[in-house]
Amino acid sequence: MMIARIFRQIWNTATALTLAALVCAVVLVLAIGAAALLGYPPLRVADLWLHGAAGSWYSLSSSCADACPLLLTGLAAGVAFRAGVLNIGAQGQFLMGALVAVALSTRMMIFHQPALVIATALTGGALAGGIWGLIAQYLERYRAVPVVLSTILLNFVALYLVAAALQGPLQAVGTAAAQSPEIAGKYWLPLFVPYTDFHIGIILAFMLSVLLWVVQERTVFGFESHVVGLNPDTAKAMKMPVAWRQFQIMFISGGCAGLGGAIQVLGQVHFMTAHMGDYGYAGIAVALLGRLNPLGIILSAVFFGFLDTGAFRVEESSLALPHDLADVIKAVVILVMLVLAGISLRRSRRAAKSERTTSAETPSA
Amino acid sequence: MATLPPALRLSEIQKSFNGVPALDGVSLEVAAGSVHGILGENGAGKTTLMNIIAGLLRPDSGSMEIMGNAAPVGSVRESRAFGIGMVHQHFKLADNQSVLDNIVLAVSKSLWSRRGRGVLQNIDYWCRELNWTLELQKPVRELGVGQQQRVEIIKALCGGGKILILDEPTAALTPAEVDELSSAVAGLANAGMTVLFISHKLQEVTRMCRVISILRRGKLVYSGGVAGLSMQQIAEKMVGAKVDVPRLVQPLGHAESRVLLELQSVDYRIGKREPPLLSQINLRVHAGEILGIAGVDGNGQSELAAVISGTVDPVAGRIMRSGAARADAPANSACIPEDRHKEALVPALPIVSNLLLRKYRHRPYVRWGFCRFGKWRTSAAALMRQYDIRSRGIDDAVCTLSGGNQQKVVLARELSDAPEWILAVNPTRGLDVGATAFVLRQLLDARARGAGIILIHGDLDELLSVSDRVAVMRGGKLLATPWPQFTRELIGRMMLAGA
Repeated sequence: MMIARIFRQIWNTATALTLAALVCAVVLVLAIGAAALLGYPPLRVADLWLHGAAGSWYSLSSSCADACPLLLTGLAAGVAFRAGVLNIGAQGQFLMGALVAVALSTRMMIFHQPALVIATALTGGALAGGIWGLIAQYLERYRAVPVVLSTILLNFVALYLVAAALQGPLQAVGTAAAQSPEIAGKYWLPLFVPYTDFHIGIILAFMLSVLLWVVQERTVFGFESHVVGLNPDTAKAMKMPVAWRQFQIMFISGGCAGLGGAIQVLGQVHFMTAHMGDYGYAGIAVALLGRLNPLGIILSAVFFGFLDTGAFRVEESSLALPHDLADVIKAVVILVMLVLAGISLRRSRRAAKSERTTSAETPSA
Repeated sequence: MATLPPALRLSEIQKSFNGVPALDGVSLEVAAGSVHGILGENGAGKTTLMNIIAGLLRPDSGSMEIMGNAAPVGSVRESRAFGIGMVHQHFKLADNQSVLDNIVLAVSKSLWSRRGRGVLQNIDYWCRELNWTLELQKPVRELGVGQQQRVEIIKALCGGGKILILDEPTAALTPAEVDELSSAVAGLANAGMTVLFISHKLQEVTRMCRVISILRRGKLVYSGGVAGLSMQQIAEKMVGAKVDVPRLVQPLGHAESRVLLELQSVDYRIGKREPPLLSQINLRVHAGEILGIAGVDGNGQSELAAVISGTVDPVAGRIMRSGAARADAPANSACIPEDRHKEALVPALPIVSNLLLRKYRHRPYVRWGFCRFGKWRTSAAALMRQYDIRSRGIDDAVCTLSGGNQQKVVLARELSDAPEWILAVNPTRGLDVGATAFVLRQLLDARARGAGIILIHGDLDELLSVSDRVAVMRGGKLLATPWPQFTRELIGRMMLAGA
């Protein structure tokens, strides 16, 4: 009974996501067609792309490693949006997480025990992201600054804080560039398939999405935060702890992004510059494509990761097709998804309206 | 006088939404210079029909003639050019703009022409005609509901309206304002305007209109004179079956029974310097009684409701709620708020979630922080049967239900756990005859069970028909009345005295 219900829920999610997958496929085909029009051999582009993204264990692993930070920032956006907390500061939270993780693994290695250092660096990164998010929520609750504004402004604060740290206390010895020293190899996230990019951070991220799905769909906390997101006035009238839930959600959201930053430096790049990619902003797109559902966000993050990694391989090849094409595809997919969401919203509204106008009530005596 | 062509002739109007018919071949004639009442329950298709006339909706088939000329359907601009002006139930006014700007905005043909002077003359003409005064420079949000409605009417008239559609114009008005509106409507008819008056309140329609049309489930079931029809007959035509018009009388119940809720000299204001919104409120609700609170909207009723329900704290005074010690127990109080979409329901969520909003965090609906959806569903299914909520299933989103069924969801959730005291604010607003009777009967059942009920209600007739005691809210003060030794008229006068 219970299992059947869970299965049905997953199935509903799946049907919703089939649409997203379909859109992605269509857009991909169109993109390859566009490449053909520009004079690139379409089949070779497709072949290189697929090979680059998933042709070998190594390329598969680098696609997943690229999807990993996207997945975590996507979760950050998804969890927050579902609860009506408009956190668009995943970028700043990601950077703060990365910064703290680098500090903890290059400057303050606890007992020089790899397991301990990694654990503290990951926890520290997540906490840093969470606290960075809480600042915004505090400003909204007690100083009436909308979260949308403060999170985006805090992104810049985080960016310059990182730049300052990388030219100050965290700067690598013997360089003038704003970059941290490389993290010692023993503190890197261990790989679960040797000689690839499959680090345990990827597993951690996947497990976290499943956990968040369970929390969102099955627990009182998830239900309350959904109600808070849909209608805070009703939530308040039902004596739900609205402000407290928003703080918690913001902490979880920021924590996901911060953990993403920490995993990225410990598992993938191993040192830090001020240019860590736009994972925070891309996370918003990932969350929208995954329809704010943690399981959907896994799929959309993996899709984005494959797209990116494959595009880089095509660019590196003799064809030199600019990898910006991947960004164009992402943007088109998001646009199409938004349009479709708008259409389905309007249809359901219209259906609801027609039902209301036709179902005349008979007296219930 | 030669026979004029009818002001409006609709033939065979058909409209369906997603295959579900909302209007099924409606043909209607409205004589020029008449006040024509359109009656029907919620969901009978009144508003859909009016929206078609006003050009907001395009019918699937059928045609429209205005003053004998074929008029295009489905264009607001064309309809307005043909002289149709609509006053919507929910006013379409820009709150932060002045009265004048609102009218000019509606009348201007384009962004660039603000025909200021002509509009002023026009406004002046109609105000004199109707004997109204409008404060043109005041922002609309500072006006009362009745005044806002006048702005809407003047706006429609200045836009060249010859046929005025008033959609549920009395829903938010006080009895005195209703009287003024009805004399204004009569004045408009004298000035040669045609008025379509939509309502589901029989008394008003029969008073103001000599000709009525009745819609039921998208069909026109009657069109003709009012004379010779009894209220009962009209009500039967509207709902299609015999119902008693809700007039629920009962002997005065409470002796000196237990006090469930007490307010002692409660004051409330928003800013320190602002005038008090509630001052020196004293009230007691006993077990087994309904305390009715009448009053013109905006005299402190919403603030009183907020103070009682605990969403805001009073500035001074004490509130004693019985059983408040058991804070974690499933609510022993219930609240049926004024705006169910905003404060009682989550329209986007399914019925089952909305029904469980009070008790989802109590046993047995939760275990270790996890929702036990199986228990949720059995509970919700039982409530749906008990309260006769009509839908396809408990997984339908609440926003797909009709207003009456949405209110039943609220009632089912709030009243099913036998609360000790109940706060209900305008619980029948926007509901039809059948649903209104259902709501009032639920309140009376709760009273019979021994609950104390505080009913803040704008509809004086309904209020008086179910209340044991009646108090009047005026200017933030609560005035006791010796009801039932008092007449309805005296209470009405108390509501307005000094205003």
